[in-house]
Amino acid sequence: MIVPTYRERASALHAARAGATAGLCLAFGLVCALYANPAILLAVIAAAVTAGVAAGVGRELRRAALFAMPLALLVTLVNPLVYREGDTLLVRGGEILGRRVDITLEALAAGGLAGLRVAAFVIVFGLFSACVDPDALLRMFRRLSYRSALTAVLATRLVPVMARDALRMGDAARCRPEPPARLAVARAALSGALDRAVDVAAALEVRGYSVGGRPERLRRPWSRQDIRVAGGGVLVAVAALAAAVAGVGSVEAYPRVEIAFGAAEAVLCALLLAGAALPFAGRGARLGVASA
Amino acid sequence: MPEEAAALRLEGFSYRYPGREASALRDLSLEIEAGSFTVLAGTSGSGKSTLLRALCGLVPHFHGGEVSGEVEVAGMSLRDHGPGELAAVCGTVFQDPESQVVMGGVRAELSLPLEHRGESAAAVARAVEEVALALGVANLLDRRTDTLSGGELQRVAIAAALVHRPALLVLDEPTSQLDPVAGDELIWLLRRLNEEWGTAVVIAEHRLERCLPAADRVIAIEDGSVACDAPPAEFLDWAVRGGGGLATPIARLFSLAGLGPLPRSVKDARAVLRRTGLTPAGPDRRDGARQGGGETGEAIDGARPRRSLRHPRLGRGAKAPAAIETRGLWYEVENGPRILAGVDLRVEHGERVALMGRNGAGKSTLLRVVKGLAEPTRGRVERAGEVALLLQSPGDYLIHEHAIEEAGPDALAAAGLSGRERANPRDLSGGERQRLALEVVLSGGPSAAVCLDEPTRGMDRAHKDALAGRIGALADAGAAVIVATHDTEFASSFADRVVLMGQSVVIADGPPAAILAGGWHFSTEVARALDGAAGALTPEHGARLIGRELVR
Repeated sequence: MIVPTYRERASALHAARAGATAGLCLAFGLVCALYANPAILLAVIAAAVTAGVAAGVGRELRRAALFAMPLALLVTLVNPLVYREGDTLLVRGGEILGRRVDITLEALAAGGLAGLRVAAFVIVFGLFSACVDPDALLRMFRRLSYRSALTAVLATRLVPVMARDALRMGDAARCRPEPPARLAVARAALSGALDRAVDVAAALEVRGYSVGGRPERLRRPWSRQDIRVAGGGVLVAVAALAAAVAGVGSVEAYPRVEIAFGAAEAVLCALLLAGAALPFAGRGARLGVASA
Repeated sequence: MPEEAAALRLEGFSYRYPGREASALRDLSLEIEAGSFTVLAGTSGSGKSTLLRALCGLVPHFHGGEVSGEVEVAGMSLRDHGPGELAAVCGTVFQDPESQVVMGGVRAELSLPLEHRGESAAAVARAVEEVALALGVANLLDRRTDTLSGGELQRVAIAAALVHRPALLVLDEPTSQLDPVAGDELIWLLRRLNEEWGTAVVIAEHRLERCLPAADRVIAIEDGSVACDAPPAEFLDWAVRGGGGLATPIARLFSLAGLGPLPRSVKDARAVLRRTGLTPAGPDRRDGARQGGGETGEAIDGARPRRSLRHPRLGRGAKAPAAIETRGLWYEVENGPRILAGVDLRVEHGERVALMGRNGAGKSTLLRVVKGLAEPTRGRVERAGEVALLLQSPGDYLIHEHAIEEAGPDALAAAGLSGRERANPRDLSGGERQRLALEVVLSGGPSAAVCLDEPTRGMDRAHKDALAGRIGALADAGAAVIVATHDTEFASSFADRVVLMGQSVVIADGPPAAILAGGWHFSTEVARALDGAAGALTPEHGARLIGRELVR
């Protein structure tokens, strides 16, 4: 399965309330959104991987990384074909459709940074998918926008269902005397996904979805895992925002590549890693009772 | 709701799907009492599922179309209330558990209907606990729904439909994807809930022999209208008079043998046999069945005679190679369970094999390995030629916009779809899709073996008979046919050999009369009624035995 799916595990990220773990992932996502600095992006990838491995979802993150790599490569390669800015000309190309195609070092570097950012986003999303219980997340959001949250959760749930459907259709195609083109199978799988969506919509209807009222608020005391994971998220988010306001980690791709890296950037990277490690560090992080 | 109120009332109700000329339901008038257990019977396409969808409000509010007449569910009119509101009084369970489980965790799934209704957290927790205990899914509460088996998922779906204690529970073929054990358990679970909670149950099923013992009433639907509405015994009389298409095997047995009254359960049948001096004599053990290996058993008196299994293209005296032979076949999932453990199986050309066993026994995996879709961990498969495999979902094979693009005109004709060349495969009925998919996999020319995985799910008897005929034709043409099925009645109708799998291994292998006559769950209804006497599996064979007074 390309998209990691949530499984209960005996880890701090899984034991913490969904809001806390989602908050930590959101903080990592915030870093990805704020910074193009490669050192900081590598640090956030390292932080997400650290947290993921400690939470026992290293294999899921590896799959997410494998999924991210071709995307990152694509972005890296497309950017220099689209942008001609930059002082350092690597390849002087001809004209395509009346447009001159020159490849510059700066455009290539900017593409690489954008690709790295895509990879960081995908890995952080992988951590989110593998560690945040979608049902608990729905419960959290239901007082704000119940149906939107439910739709989002359903979309997440439909992904593995449709992936299984596609696998089955692929097997069925292999059973035909003349296997059809992959495109035909993919198109049929997409059509089947629509049927699936209609079935699930019907199931939701008969469970009373259309009359869904605003549910009662759940009150639950904060556990030490909740506090540590949320603390890690707050640390990462505050550090990222403060550093961004202070102009830390600036990157200029054009006309020449200029990437800031000094003590401030190093401190920010360290804080990101500390935020990831916080839920797992020390005796207090041990789980009292292993979850099922 | 007052106690005397009907759970359901239909008055002159008709319905037509959007874009269709013919009505799916016509002038239905009936009333179902609170706390009753009603079975909806009918052939494929008769309108059972549409009626159930009307009871929960999906028809017409979700599907659209035109309605006339009145439907009231626990006093709520279908005109004024949509499925969301009707959900308060009507729980609904569909055929495919995969598509009706919405949430990622079982506890969240059971909580969802109550949360929609704005129940307090304490009320939700208590109701979830109680329904989980009632349906035997308490041990699943902390499981993820995508880790559950089909039977577990179906129980969870029923629990989710019942968690708010609706007055009415409607189920559309809920056992079609379950093995005989899980299917029987589910029906009796429903009966227990019906008796203890007073929930009215309306269930549509093709395998009536499974439901009738629990039913108070049977409503037969034909062409969208009520053809029979009676207690089970009277329904069986009606079904037998009408040609037996909807009659259970033991009802047909009694009808053919001239016995009466027609029994609705095996227990009733045995009682009548005892009263008439035809006490079942117990299973005939001259079976020759092998347990986990050995030679195929000899034919039982009265059973279908074994045909010559010689390859048609080989001369007399030549030793034919097997169509399929597996030796020491293992299939183990990485970091997971073993699915096959040293399976040895030899299937000759022209042989018709029913591969049986509970869910998860390894039947589907064995077929996939035989086809080459999955590589065995150990062991080898020898194939005398091409292997055609029809997987469980025939719709997966149909990927084009028009039926004619799926297979040539000859294949369409063989599937009985001449004249439907431009039809979209998604618009075909389940039986039509099944036939077309089978012809698609067979369109590459003669195959050494044809494997079918659960081909009778949701099929009525007429379609099963037609499929049995097609299997016979394939076998007569020299193909080994292996059919993985839970349907013992169907197995007895086509197979000349039954291979029964336990967890990962073959536990019995022999003629149908030997394997299906002596079991409890893997046994036909006739065999159970006659206690396996003389290996009689079918109504016709059983009636001959009774006629010859072979059962004493």
